[in-house]
Amino acid sequence: MRTKIILTALAICALTGFALEPGETELEHNGWYRYTNQSSALKLTDPTVSRFSLERGYLRFSHQWVPAFFTKMTVDIFSSDKYPEGATVRLKEAYADLSLPFVRDFNFTAGLQKHYFGLIYSWDYTHPEKELADEQGICASADYGLTVNGYLPSGLGELQLGIYNGEGYKYAGKYVNTSPEFLGNIRLTPFAGVALGFSVFTNSADAAHYKNDKKGRITEAGNIFYMNADTANTSRLALAPSLKLAFGPFSILGEYLGYSYTRKFSYYQINHDTSGNIVDSTLVQKQKDYQMTGLDLVPMITLAGRKIEVFGRFSMWNRREQSGDSMSLNKDKSFVRYGAGANYHFVRREKGKPGLIFQFAWTRTQPKNSELKPTDVLLAQVRFEWSTVITKLSL
Amino acid sequence: MKKTVSILAMLSTIILGAEVIVKGSDTMLNLTQRLAEAYSNVQPDVTVSISGGGSGVGINAIINREVDIANASRRIKSKEISAARANGVDPTEIVIALDGLSVIVNNKNPIKQLTVQQIGAIYRGEITNWNQVGGPNKKIVLYGRQPNSGTFVFFREEVVKGEYSSAMRQMNGNAQIVEGVKADEGGIGYVGLGYIKNVEGIKPLAVAKKVGENYISPTDEARVRSGDYPLTRPLYQYTNGRPKGIVREFILFELSPAGQKIVEEEGFVPVTQNYIERNNSILQE
Repeated sequence: MRTKIILTALAICALTGFALEPGETELEHNGWYRYTNQSSALKLTDPTVSRFSLERGYLRFSHQWVPAFFTKMTVDIFSSDKYPEGATVRLKEAYADLSLPFVRDFNFTAGLQKHYFGLIYSWDYTHPEKELADEQGICASADYGLTVNGYLPSGLGELQLGIYNGEGYKYAGKYVNTSPEFLGNIRLTPFAGVALGFSVFTNSADAAHYKNDKKGRITEAGNIFYMNADTANTSRLALAPSLKLAFGPFSILGEYLGYSYTRKFSYYQINHDTSGNIVDSTLVQKQKDYQMTGLDLVPMITLAGRKIEVFGRFSMWNRREQSGDSMSLNKDKSFVRYGAGANYHFVRREKGKPGLIFQFAWTRTQPKNSELKPTDVLLAQVRFEWSTVITKLSL
Repeated sequence: MKKTVSILAMLSTIILGAEVIVKGSDTMLNLTQRLAEAYSNVQPDVTVSISGGGSGVGINAIINREVDIANASRRIKSKEISAARANGVDPTEIVIALDGLSVIVNNKNPIKQLTVQQIGAIYRGEITNWNQVGGPNKKIVLYGRQPNSGTFVFFREEVVKGEYSSAMRQMNGNAQIVEGVKADEGGIGYVGLGYIKNVEGIKPLAVAKKVGENYISPTDEARVRSGDYPLTRPLYQYTNGRPKGIVREFILFELSPAGQKIVEEEGFVPVTQNYIERNNSILQE
């Protein structure tokens, strides 16, 4: 027979977690400290990879200039094995956002921004590894572009239409070609517990990676030099229907991926004599079609007042390559992956965002070539994320 | 079957005790506290926990399943509905009272009435002296809420219709605005109707939609109820789906004659017939 009425006016937390007001700046930091153990068939004491890394070290600065104009910049300071210093800095986001006049809840965004494809932009790393399209290089999670993006009325969902470079945020300047990528993405939330999505992008050419890595490479066989010329993935087309179901503590997130392109490549065939003098040369041009399909599923249950998340993961990837007039499965590069893990949230930030989490996950990837051994990856990660709003002073 | 479920719910309430968690609007904080106190006399086994933080805080809490009821002095946004649905939450709206958002000035200020356009121009920083609206030669000092507040959002959309002046002092709550204006002869603020009742040192202004139309005081309950007062707004509560069990019981109490009497005592206006009908369609079993 007791009644307890608790009154707590939470004025102190009043400034956190909302769209910024004019003159306000938000500073955010994400630090993901990870241990990775990768081995064949769970040889934990004899792994092929055993490393600690700062997987993500975001520093994010957002500023609301006026109600209709907002800018954001994110740099990622992360561990890297590529440099002797053991770390590097990468620009991850840098964009300006302008509210569209006469169209409620819609913005025009320009710059290095989210790439709204499939589950990439809503992937919150409940599973600490990357989403499949991102991992398999269908596209990057961010890219330079122009988008119109916003929310449909009555909570029906959201829509994004964009033109991007198509090369992703890792390539800029001379590595970016002139053919734009066109992207459309819709996410519908017709009723509680169901989110249906569909994304598509097309790009006539993406050459950055190959220009960067392979152009000019020379190999020799007998009396012939082969020198790589231009290589490009052309006629790129990707689509991704996606689904999220959420009922009480249970949810499942899934997407199907379809991706195809034609790789056009050319090389100089240079004939030389026994003294190495060039006799003649020919430019040889070839092309080959590729088709990929994938499936990514993450079922999850939240427990203990959302402190604990237990999740599974099932992924499938099929890579088909042109062989003569037919497409055949590249079994070495196709796989089935399954795994499980758990997260413990010590602290959550506003809007239910992660504050301090411990994450643990295991996945086994089995190539479709049964002669190849499966790869086991064990991840343990401490992830902390915080943000603060610097408010203009009242005088 | 239905009877069995009800009996089980009743037993669990008696054995375990039961709690209704409410969070959100600062404007509705005192009101829901009073309602919870009164409800405790009717249902002493039920704990009602109430906290503020602003409408945005409450709505985020219902989206993330942290509370049973979100108090909001503004309507839920399309973006928030979409986020809730994707999270398996069905935000369901009940109106528990009406508010005549009141524009207040210091008692010593001779100004008695303003149009919505004039108030908007004052808060945008375009009018900076009371003599520009027929008052004394005195600098206007703006008092307002913080961005998480539903009142801040409502006032911006309905009155300011643009950017708040950077000179506006952002206060934590309605009570702080009242205190600020009370102590400042040049002050102007906006607060929920419930915060001007029996308060000395300030006065609410009569407001007209535009020049040439009638000036109406927010204390004119009939005009607030009819929607003639330009800054009439509903006060909402959001639940995840149709309220059930003790949450439904608590809301039914809020909407009962006893609950609506408290609404009046707290200076707000009881819900009108159109809202009663809408609420009933949601609350029927």
